[in-house]
Amino acid sequence: MIKAEHIAGLPEAPLDTSGSPGPAGPPGQPAAIVLRAVQKEFALRRGRTVQALDGVDLTVRAGEFVALLGPSGCGKSTVLRMVAGLDEPTSGEVLVEDRPPAALVRDHRLGVAFQDHALLPWATTFANIALPFRVAGRAVDRERVGALIDLVGLNGFADARPRQLSGGMRQRVAIARALVLDPEVLLLDEPFGALDAVTRRRMNFELARIWAERRITTLLVTHDVDEAVLLADRVVVLTGRPGRVRHIEEVALPRPRGRDITRDPGFHETVDRLTELLDESAE
Amino acid sequence: MSARARHRTLTAAGVVLLLALMEAIGRVGLFGSSWPPLTEVVSYVAEPVTGDLLGRALAATAGAAGTGFALGSAVAVVVAALGVLLPVVQPGLDRLAAVVNAIPLIALGPLLITTVGREGTPTVIAALAAGFAMFIAATSGLAAASTPHHDVFSALGASRRTRLLRLQLPAAVPLLLDGLTLAAPAAVLGAVIGEWFGAPRGLGILLVSSMQNFQIELLWAAALTSALVSLAAYLVLTGLRSLATGRFL
Repeated sequence: MIKAEHIAGLPEAPLDTSGSPGPAGPPGQPAAIVLRAVQKEFALRRGRTVQALDGVDLTVRAGEFVALLGPSGCGKSTVLRMVAGLDEPTSGEVLVEDRPPAALVRDHRLGVAFQDHALLPWATTFANIALPFRVAGRAVDRERVGALIDLVGLNGFADARPRQLSGGMRQRVAIARALVLDPEVLLLDEPFGALDAVTRRRMNFELARIWAERRITTLLVTHDVDEAVLLADRVVVLTGRPGRVRHIEEVALPRPRGRDITRDPGFHETVDRLTELLDESAE
Repeated sequence: MSARARHRTLTAAGVVLLLALMEAIGRVGLFGSSWPPLTEVVSYVAEPVTGDLLGRALAATAGAAGTGFALGSAVAVVVAALGVLLPVVQPGLDRLAAVVNAIPLIALGPLLITTVGREGTPTVIAALAAGFAMFIAATSGLAAASTPHHDVFSALGASRRTRLLRLQLPAAVPLLLDGLTLAAPAAVLGAVIGEWFGAPRGLGILLVSSMQNFQIELLWAAALTSALVSLAAYLVLTGLRSLATGRFL
């Protein structure tokens, strides 16, 4: 049953419909992130292994926002970690701009934000956002850092340390840090996962606004259906472990997406359908 | 605040009790003449001649301990950092540190006297004692940064050097300070032991000679001075740590 749907939802199919109208990503764009037949096994003790991913094919076009949706433990974070070069696939291929992820990482052209904000506790907001400049061995562009503090709405908090900030503010700093070098690819792993529902929704709209300013190729991992539909051009639903691509949904909602989008019946219809798919996937 | 006040009262009460016990045992003569009352030792120290003698000895020991402490700690941190920059040598360094520590400091005496001389031996033994405590603290400190932090640095394409300077060293600060508070008393002890191999002066020398000449008050005075130096070093570094951890934890 799952197998059949898996085939039906192969990622190449939506790619062929690139002529389809609507603002769902720039269809004519080249592929920025490509996963081909990616399998991932993790070694357990005594030589046993657990299969996290099984034959995942996925293409993210340049300038596209793709959300990866799946039940917990389906290996969606593993996909993201492989694109970031933090994990290697057991078999298959992961390419970012036709090169291995490590090449992009080496050029400091990747931006990441995780559920754990991973801010340096001893550094101020300014220093945390400036960190990628220092890691890349470049002079800190103070104006750029200031502009990002502005962009994520943290004016007046430049000298605050992470522990003086609220959870939502910390995530904003983490996202600003991910954006500061103007990366080619942005990877977000449940960046709002630790926030309460209200803050989370507010952060979603802020991210939609920030993203609209410069459409960076983005891969977002989430288990929040609303979040995925709100933000993404395409939503990829994974099955439970081992993770496979189950369905790909083109989100044809107009951009910019503001708060009024939640009153759009199309939004709710998509969310309901994906929630149902996710529910079946978890079984 | 009241909990803190209570803590202080209890600490003070404990110190007073201990001192009173020492005095009482000496007065009663429970352990014979080799345990004098505390007041006798203190009044002995207050005499100008003894004061001078102890002062000179203290200066020598504190100098050796201080130099050894600084030297040993610095070398330990540099070596631990080297292990991070060159992961190949890491297991070798760990083993070398364990082996050096396994050799009793006293057994190094003859070797050190022929290499660095009687004057230099206290400093070197203090450095070895402080250095090992510091090496352990530095190694675990440099491994203290969390996995998400390491992931961020990896994804940003950080070099080993950048990771060490911008992540691992700052994250190690609390453990490095812990290491310093352990290394300081170890350095004082190391210096005293080092002086037993024939240093020209120092608290260690006073301890040995007063023991051999049955100068009970001098022996106790020297022992108490060593303990006070050790305690002072510990207190200074604990203060430093509480100042710094507010920022780095």
